[in-house]
Amino acid sequence: MVTRRDVGKIGIAAGLAGGLSRPAWAADGASAAVEAAKQFSGQTITIVWEAGLQALDPLNFSGPKWKELTGIDVKVVEVPVAEMFTKIMQDFKSGAGAYDALNVIPSWMPDLANAGALEVLDPFVDKYGYRDELMKIAPTYRDNQMKVNDKIYGLPDDGDVFVMYFRKDVLGDPAIQKAYKDKYGADLPMPPTNWKDFDQVAALITEVSAGKIYGAAFFRESGYGNFMFQERFRNEGGKFFDADTMKATINSDAGVKVFTEWLAENKVAPPGVEQWGFVENLAAFLQGQTAMTISWPPYGRWAASYGTDQEVMSWVPKSTIAGKVGYAMTPGGHPELAAGFCLSVSSASKNKEAAYLFIQWLNSEATSLERVKLPYALRDPFRDSHFTDPGYAALWPDAKDYLKALQDGANNGLLDLSLLQTDKYEEVLRQSVSKLWAGEDPKSILDAAAAEWDAITEKIGVDKQKAVYADWASKSGAYPKM
Amino acid sequence: MRAYHEQTMPATAVHPDRNFKYWLLAPAIFLLLLIGLFPLIYSLVVSFMRIDMMDTDTSFAWFYNYKNLFKDGRLWWSLAHTLLITAIALPLELLLGLAMAYLFLEKMPGRQIFISLLVLPTIISPIVAGATWRLLFDNKYGPINQILSWFAGERVNALWTINPTLVYPAIIFCEIWQWTPFMFLILLAALSNVDKSQTEAAEIDGARFLRTFRYIVLPAIWPVMAIAILIRGLDLFRIFDIIWALTQGGPGTKTETISIYAYTQGFKQFETSYTAAIAFLVVFILTVICTWAIRRMGLAK
Repeated sequence: MVTRRDVGKIGIAAGLAGGLSRPAWAADGASAAVEAAKQFSGQTITIVWEAGLQALDPLNFSGPKWKELTGIDVKVVEVPVAEMFTKIMQDFKSGAGAYDALNVIPSWMPDLANAGALEVLDPFVDKYGYRDELMKIAPTYRDNQMKVNDKIYGLPDDGDVFVMYFRKDVLGDPAIQKAYKDKYGADLPMPPTNWKDFDQVAALITEVSAGKIYGAAFFRESGYGNFMFQERFRNEGGKFFDADTMKATINSDAGVKVFTEWLAENKVAPPGVEQWGFVENLAAFLQGQTAMTISWPPYGRWAASYGTDQEVMSWVPKSTIAGKVGYAMTPGGHPELAAGFCLSVSSASKNKEAAYLFIQWLNSEATSLERVKLPYALRDPFRDSHFTDPGYAALWPDAKDYLKALQDGANNGLLDLSLLQTDKYEEVLRQSVSKLWAGEDPKSILDAAAAEWDAITEKIGVDKQKAVYADWASKSGAYPKM
Repeated sequence: MRAYHEQTMPATAVHPDRNFKYWLLAPAIFLLLLIGLFPLIYSLVVSFMRIDMMDTDTSFAWFYNYKNLFKDGRLWWSLAHTLLITAIALPLELLLGLAMAYLFLEKMPGRQIFISLLVLPTIISPIVAGATWRLLFDNKYGPINQILSWFAGERVNALWTINPTLVYPAIIFCEIWQWTPFMFLILLAALSNVDKSQTEAAEIDGARFLRTFRYIVLPAIWPVMAIAILIRGLDLFRIFDIIWALTQGGPGTKTETISIYAYTQGFKQFETSYTAAIAFLVVFILTVICTWAIRRMGLAK
């Protein structure tokens, strides 16, 4: 049995081996950070990281390796993702300076930057010659998740994007295909590329298999539903606001259509899907109970059984579907770049330079490639070089297809809405999703949500928010190019 | 010897300063004021400012935040939810606690072990209890639906934390499970001290149980019972953990209590001044209720 400590040792060994086989490090962002950081040897830097699997990266791999290379200790403060924003703001507002480096969800960045909680990174980036390497991050993350008011506040460090996973054996089953053709007079699309086809395929599989396998399941728990709504609403042509008046338009036909179709989809999904979050949906898919689903990239790795034999992964159900899973963009062709993480430096830190050097090293081409391949961590490919890395493509038989789906998703992905006080708007969406499951009428829910959004906008200041929205809406991933 | 001592000692030692005892108490009182009173005063001051996530406007804003309280429908709904939970859970906890206390009043084999086991829920952190109940109520993996399915003879898909008709029973059930033992323990202690000769005399005279309870037992246990009601009432008014773990105030805001709303405003949306105003609204309401209750229950006597 491989223990958590062994995993750390394996990670370090793999990292060192990777490093030794890369003499080019001598001139890259990683080695520049290591050399410069040696002056801070003996110091400790504290970094906020999402609790759980995410934190195994700095705990087992990058933290010990950084200590070995520079003599700097890394203290990891694990915080549940729902509390990260609060903790970061509390630390800043109190002036405690308890955190040096931060993991920041990109949609929070304007709020944190405007509040003054994040350090501007441009001077460090230039001082340590990291700009060229930074520019090799995949464009969608680099251009959209790095800056506020044209200043760098975070190094994009996680290629979070929704991917559609489908069972090739189920959708390719001749009996299913025949039944589909008989019913709809067309070949079963494999994979479905729009929601109409997706819903038809899902309903047919549930019907033909008499519930032995459900056609599809989704994240429906309200926290995840927020992301799912944002994606699908825009794929249906919806806009969040009227750009001229800043009046909320989430109660448009597109919004009502999404909510109405969700209710219909639940009828062919497993019972109780309304409560499903990351783990419930994962378990059902890996155990072969559902034929299609949409989720973040780790599902694809674990479905292929990559790294799931390690003890730290014992909570992940054993995959019964390895080799049977296809990867595609979500219906509509514009998946949500849901959440994701950037690495930032706290403005309240007393070790800003050391903290910056650590995050530059983490984010560098060489180190990040090792980190996105860690089977137990949740960082997903986010650099062009990650998507084309032959080593990654050889990790399991279909890994090349997987990387292509991630890259396609990144190229066509949609950014999370990011405004001043984003969480207030998102909270309204989360509550709207839970009201939907409580049986309220879609149109009434969205009318109320739009009114709440308007009230929030009024309180913040229409003109102020309008300018921020215009800036966000001008980004390449804000709305699909129709 | 004494004369020498009196000559060499300072006058204050011979005639100790009558205020010296206050100087001894001062550090402890100062510490208590610092911990207890300072945050209260500071919060009061903050409630008259306009500090939020984006702005640290410390100028005097008069009653801006207090006026907004009256326009905030969500706040009053959260207060209504809090009162609803209190109004249902408190009597149920009292009645069940009293019934259990009566049951365990008589000597029986294993009494001490049963009492210890019954009290266990109260020593569990409410957030842990809430998280555990969330798992128990889970539609897919939770045993509650499983057990209901056995009785129903078909799969039961009750969405306890989402369905508006089930969510309050679920919350109240958890609350009662955790805190009835508290009532039980206090009332058991009170009942144990009731003069047995009086109840036995009533029994010999043919008094029925309810009559004995009404005229002999209740007056004897009332001071303790009233304190227990007051403590649990205040606790229920501040209920947060169990609901946060079970529903986070959902579906929508249907189970949002005043504490959850204040937490959301203060620590998720950083409406610092407004949250301070909410806190003082709660302090005001609780002060009125407590004063009324203490007078009504005769506790001041």
